Amino acid sequence: MADQLLDQVRDVLEGQIDFDGQRLAELITTVLLGAAGFLAFFLGFMAQDIRLTLWIGLVGTVFTFVVVVPPWPFFNKNPITWLPPHNAISGLDINIDGKKAG
Amino acid sequence: MHSTLVRAQNVFGFFTTVAFCVAAVIALSVVVSPQTPSASVKLRNVQVVRGRPHYYSYKKEEYAHIKFDLDTDLTSLFNWNTKQVFVYLKAIYPSLKASEPPSEAIIWDAILGSPSAPWHQNHYIHPNPKSPKSSSKKSSKSSKPSAEPLYPPGELHLQNQRPKYQITDISGKLQNRTDVVLELGWNVQPWVGALVWANKADWGIWEGLKGGVSERFRLPEIKGARKVDVSTEKGGESNRGKPA
Repeated sequence: MADQLLDQVRDVLEGQIDFDGQRLAELITTVLLGAAGFLAFFLGFMAQDIRLTLWIGLVGTVFTFVVVVPPWPFFNKNPITWLPPHNAISGLDINIDGKKAG
Repeated sequence: MHSTLVRAQNVFGFFTTVAFCVAAVIALSVVVSPQTPSASVKLRNVQVVRGRPHYYSYKKEEYAHIKFDLDTDLTSLFNWNTKQVFVYLKAIYPSLKASEPPSEAIIWDAILGSPSAPWHQNHYIHPNPKSPKSSSKKSSKSSKPSAEPLYPPGELHLQNQRPKYQITDISGKLQNRTDVVLELGWNVQPWVGALVWANKADWGIWEGLKGGVSERFRLPEIKGARKVDVSTEKGGESNRGKPA
């Protein structure tokens, strides 16, 4: 019971995503932060307002954190279908002194 | 990127890279904003008196008290990346030995805050020539940002301005010096990027300072017993560490 609960807590904290989700997360990070930096400079320079640059950069960064860091469902759309647990000696019938082993 | 912690580290790591690059581009972007600073400095009055560096000193030194007129147009120094401009007026005079470089001493300075900078008590507030002298004492306490600035940032029109600092020489002797000039200098302090000092030469679309040097003058002999006005001006930074 306690083990089950701890497993759930660990899963939530670890927030694991699948391999395709990892590639997607990497891409989103690069695109969002890059766009935020570019927009921050461009709009700030156009408006000649360095506070605008600061706030666009910070808001864009916070937005990126919100999008990328939690294990959103769209990061887990392609779960790996692992092979069933397979024991190399499970198929064998081992008999030792009339007792079953393995 | 497989777990929350690794994703957070990756995002933060790339954020630092982006922040550095944006800051670098901002620092470089100021070279496309033209600068055309100009100024005129005139000597108004100069007096030399004898005094001591502090109350308990036995050493007597000679102090020069220089009043001046200053008109500047440094508005083009305030681009989008300017935080403040430190303006100062130097007195430059030859050293006693010809082999040594001329001596320079600041007689007046001011911190000109840019419009993008939050209000600060040390920022220079341009004196209003129309307001009577007596009321300036009272209004200085309440002259917070509510008061609309008299001129755009970087524009100064000072008449018969008292110095902030009396100057003396390392030798303690200052009377009868010749070839003294007053020269305007500044230091542009940006939000991000390099500090830039006053420059006489053109550099790209940044023109050098036009004018900004007074005519040569001579420090007079020490006045006799006659009382002379050697009061100095205080800047906002003199409030530092004191309750408002």
